[in-house]
Amino acid sequence: MTTATHAARRARKARRGGPVAWVFALPALIVYFVFLVYPALSSLWFSLTDWDGLSAAYNVVGLDNYRSMASDPVVRQAAVNNLIWAVVTVVVPVLLGLTLAVMLNGKVRGKPFLRLIFYTPAVLPLVSVASIWGWLYNPQYGAINAFLRAIGLDELAQPWLGQDSTALGATMVAAIWLRVGFPMLLYLAALQSINPDLYEAATVDGASRWQQFWHITMPGLRPAHYVVIALSVIDSFKVFDLIYAMTYGGPGTATQVMGTWMYFNVFQYNQAGYGTAIAVVITVVAIAVSIPYVRSQTKEHAV
Amino acid sequence: MTSIAPGTALTGPRITDAGPSRNTPKPKGGIGTTIVVALVALLWISPLALLVTTAVRPLSDFVSHGPLSWPGAFTFENFADAWGIGNFATTYRNSTILLMLKVPLGVFVSAMLAYALAKLRIWFGAAIMYIVFLGLTIPIYITIVPVFVMARSAGITDSLIGLIGPYLAFGIPFEVLVLQAFIRQIPDEIIEAAKIDGAGPWRIFLTVVLPLSVPALVTVFILDAVATWNEFLFALIMLNSDASKTIPVGLLNFQGQFANNSTGLAAGILIAVVPILIAYTFLQRWIVGGLTAGASKG
Repeated sequence: MTTATHAARRARKARRGGPVAWVFALPALIVYFVFLVYPALSSLWFSLTDWDGLSAAYNVVGLDNYRSMASDPVVRQAAVNNLIWAVVTVVVPVLLGLTLAVMLNGKVRGKPFLRLIFYTPAVLPLVSVASIWGWLYNPQYGAINAFLRAIGLDELAQPWLGQDSTALGATMVAAIWLRVGFPMLLYLAALQSINPDLYEAATVDGASRWQQFWHITMPGLRPAHYVVIALSVIDSFKVFDLIYAMTYGGPGTATQVMGTWMYFNVFQYNQAGYGTAIAVVITVVAIAVSIPYVRSQTKEHAV
Repeated sequence: MTSIAPGTALTGPRITDAGPSRNTPKPKGGIGTTIVVALVALLWISPLALLVTTAVRPLSDFVSHGPLSWPGAFTFENFADAWGIGNFATTYRNSTILLMLKVPLGVFVSAMLAYALAKLRIWFGAAIMYIVFLGLTIPIYITIVPVFVMARSAGITDSLIGLIGPYLAFGIPFEVLVLQAFIRQIPDEIIEAAKIDGAGPWRIFLTVVLPLSVPALVTVFILDAVATWNEFLFALIMLNSDASKTIPVGLLNFQGQFANNSTGLAAGILIAVVPILIAYTFLQRWIVGGLTAGASKG
């Protein structure tokens, strides 16, 4: 057999994939299945038990955990908080990020530096963000109350994280602080890919700034909107670190979200089965919401 | 894994800074906009700025003049106190070890899978991709109970080794997404040419694909390093003893102990975040490029 036909055969074989492709794929796939897929699926099983997380034995209780969730007031509160959290920490950072991106894309000096600042909070550990804001909110020594007192609004100074009425809002402010940078970066990149000739042509045609924004900028940002919103929503369902480290779900249960309530059930109240059921519910919702994004990513890349 | 949002694909071998671009005219004028954006930026950076001014002053000065005043005296004692009480020598060491073990390994196995998906026409490629990308959406807490049980039966709950598996698994989806999109852009002719020269898949991978993918590998490496350094939930459930804690878990304990010592707390937070701030400042070109390259595509 000549080398040429040999090579051709090999090339054909490679095109069809074959065992070699699996040798490359397996290490990552094994890790992925052992430490992510398998645990996620076995959580489904644990959620059907009354396991306490410690003892060797447990009973299968069917859907009891899910039934208890329906009558658990904290679950209801956590679900509402999750929903509020998702809406606020997606909408506000996306709008603010878009505004900043449009402004930064215009005639602005020191653009790289300003961009650097807005994304800085996003690279910090969430626990440190929680510490920073916990410190800013400190009723006695915190900068926020100090500022309010300095401008004569003493009556507005309050224990922001220590009372039901403001605690959730206070944690969301910290989340907004850290999440504005990401949409801003994506929108900025997308804005720079819009053909500048379009604006020139529109100006010649007498279109106002506002008309240009709605008829050139916004349509040009459509792919970016999709990515930004999909990723922000996915991220918002994962909320845990920030709330846990700022309020532990308190005061009372005012800032509990599904993630923290799950954690407390498993690791503090020895109700691993019940806690896992909570995790299953939030995961199912998260996956359902993000399936269009996953599908689009797969379709885009799969040949 | 944490605040670094996952999953925008790089669009090809052209990761560049999304910096000053062709369609922005030379910035002359625009003073009004500059001022507005600069004021918002000032507001955005003020928590970190206050952290610095608080950390470098004595507690008595802070208490008597309040958090918004300029320090009346300067001291580095807060840092010394915080460093010792916060156990930072240990948590720094642990976070560094974890990063050095996990990140290179994760990037390498992800690159292998990405190569198989992008160039080897693997059977069930689309299905594998779908399942792996689905991992982007899975919240960590659905896995913590079984992962904890597994680690306990392996006797590695209170060790960094126990974290490597879960960390790898949750890093893989994003890394594969970015790397396979990049590797796909490598022209098939280059790979065919190497094949004709007699190179097998391994040699092609190591001597052709990896060197050509360096920009994407660097980006993924940096983003994964940030996520690993910042990860909290797995570390919280797995690490009990002070000797094995990582920076985020250590900082949480520290925060509890220093609740009424604002200057010490500020110093401790700074100790925890300064390395990542420095790294971000120097590497932001890669971070920004990695996060944004996908979104600008039509």
